[in-house]
Amino acid sequence: MTPLTHKVCMLGDFGVGKTSLVARYVRSTFSDKYLTTVGVKVDSKEVALPGRDPLKLVLWDIAGRSALDAPSTSYLRGASALLLVADGTRETSLNSALNLLMQSRSTLPDAVAVLAVNKLDLVERWEVAATTLSELRRSLPVFETSALSGAGVEEAFAEIARRLPG
Amino acid sequence: MIVDAAWPVVVQAYLRAVLVDRTHLLLLSFAPGWHLLDLQGDPAFYGLAPEAPDGLRSLQDLFVGLPLDRDQDIPFVELANGRSAHVHLVADRDAFHVLLLDAEEARSHERVQQQLVHEAIIAGHAKSKAIGQLKDIRDELGRQRSSLEEANALKNALIATLSHEFRTPLTSIFGYLHLIERRATADATAAQALQAVRRSATYLFALAENLLEYGRGESSGALLNAVEVDLGALLADVEGMFAPLAEAKGVRFRATLAHDDATAPRFDEVKLRQIVVNLLSNAVRYTTRGEIVLALAWRDRRLAVDVRDSGIGIAPEFIGQVFKPFNRGAQAGSKGAGLGLSIVRRLVDQMHGTLALESEPGQGTHFSIELPSVAAIAAGPEHASTLRGRRALVVDDDADVAQLLEVLLEDLGFEVRVLGDAASAVARAMDESPDLLLVDVELPGLSGNAAVYQLRAQGYRGPIVSLSANATTDARDASLRAGANHYLTKPLNLERFVAVVRRAVGEGAKEAT
Ligand SMILES: Nc1nc2c(ncn2[C@@H]2O[C@H](COP(=O)(O)OP(=O)(O)O)[C@@H](O)[C@H]2O)c(=O)[nH]1
Ligand SMILES: [Mg+2]
Repeated sequence: MTPLTHKVCMLGDFGVGKTSLVARYVRSTFSDKYLTTVGVKVDSKEVALPGRDPLKLVLWDIAGRSALDAPSTSYLRGASALLLVADGTRETSLNSALNLLMQSRSTLPDAVAVLAVNKLDLVERWEVAATTLSELRRSLPVFETSALSGAGVEEAFAEIARRLPG
Repeated sequence: MIVDAAWPVVVQAYLRAVLVDRTHLLLLSFAPGWHLLDLQGDPAFYGLAPEAPDGLRSLQDLFVGLPLDRDQDIPFVELANGRSAHVHLVADRDAFHVLLLDAEEARSHERVQQQLVHEAIIAGHAKSKAIGQLKDIRDELGRQRSSLEEANALKNALIATLSHEFRTPLTSIFGYLHLIERRATADATAAQALQAVRRSATYLFALAENLLEYGRGESSGALLNAVEVDLGALLADVEGMFAPLAEAKGVRFRATLAHDDATAPRFDEVKLRQIVVNLLSNAVRYTTRGEIVLALAWRDRRLAVDVRDSGIGIAPEFIGQVFKPFNRGAQAGSKGAGLGLSIVRRLVDQMHGTLALESEPGQGTHFSIELPSVAAIAAGPEHASTLRGRRALVVDDDADVAQLLEVLLEDLGFEVRVLGDAASAVARAMDESPDLLLVDVELPGLSGNAAVYQLRAQGYRGPIVSLSANATTDARDASLRAGANHYLTKPLNLERFVAVVRRAVGEGAKEAT
């Protein structure tokens, strides 16, 4: 039978790597070319967790918008989970991600939220301090990821799946 | 009826053309459960295939979590074939309809605009960062100018490269010489020529090594690249190099090896070789009859190097001078750069060894050197026991380096565990909280810095020492910023290594910044 399906929205500033994370996770590919996402692209992938029935994640890669815009509620509606994405080399993108999380709470009070701080391969240039992330871990799961190398990507999505009702 | 029936028929037709044809309107009607009832328009235009089993799956996915009994509107959806469409859902009594309207043109337009804006913002960020970096670099340059240490690090890297570059062609010269000499059918002139080539190559080898060593400056402490040394091979090498030279002068050459210690000898092989080569060069140069004996003995974790000759010897009043650089004339009839023995003395010091010299003019000279194994140095009496039972985790993908670190740490009293990759090291360290974590920066896959950052970002507080072949301040800063407490460069300076390890374990963790 078709597995239980959940809608997961990628949220974060433009250029943080939302599209790249989906490409890495769903297609195991990476491109260093930046192409602005307009609107939304929907992909899906089945996740098999040990001891659970497989889940299907429908991933909404939403246009990167700055924290100043309210997240387009029409895109968020119906989502069970949010993957907030920040770029470790841009401290401001972490604030944006957290703002987006707060704003989306009015539409989606119960959605699972996981934070991916991306571009771990550039850790030498990161502005985000390790202590900031260890603090944030008290309130939500945090993963350092790299869409380029793949580090942490499976783990971040698996954490979402783990927290979704099966 | 698409629009108000009261409007003129031509307007209705026109609007129909605009709204339906130009937007490639696709209408799909479904019964509950996504059973397709009806279809109008061209699904292939949007890459949809209603007849295929999963041909409409992507549409269905789009409405996951959304109610199907209420009108919905999802603008700018990128479909599987890359086209963009506005997707609408219109609820009906027992059914629902999905409408697709082409949005490709608007999307392309929008994308061009946004792309420019975004690229400008990202470039702006990069620019301000680059300006910041330039400032840092300027500060750094100022600091560097006044920092002799930094200059030395660069020089060392250059010298290490040069030294390697010299050694490689010389090795092949010696190899071919050996090959030619074995076919010893040459006439007297050719044999003499070969001897001359060998003499010159040996001299060049010693000279190059010495100048390079001397160029390294008075670096304090032992920069150690300790490996397990094959003493037999070392002996055979130098014998191959010097026996023909000695024999050509009518001097006998003997080399002996006593291997009485069951443990493997660990030394900086380059330094050890340099010591032996220098002593033998000297012996061959100043001996015209009798014999030259090289004796290596490995026992009680110490290596004894003895070189004895029956050469011209050194007058007592000169004995104090032979170890000074550029000591021309210290030994009667000497020539050459006069660096050899000063370098031997320095190398022996760096390796924490002892050197003794006995000489009788006209009778010969005897150098005897004792070198403690690397591990024995680390475990020196002043370091005893306080670290007993502490646990260290070593992360290095280079098995030789990992093994050296393991031996050194074990001799300091640590229980050591070695891992070859960063990802498993992160998990292991979080799990076991070792008393000390030693991480190589240049690991394949997840870098050492990334691993350190991840640990600190998970609240790991234990002491972390990064190890890298990169001696630049930038590399050091990047590592410390990632969360390491200390940064050590390879090859290891043994005193520094021991001091840093003790400090790291003693002071515990600092907060990552
Ligand atoms: N080095 C590096 N670059 C990345 C990574 N993820 C994304 N990028 C690059 O960052 C830019 C923006 O990525 P994209 O996925 O389009 O970001 P989005 O706007 O959030 O969808 C592109 O040039 C990507 O190649 C990463 O993990 N490491
Ligand atoms: Mg994108």
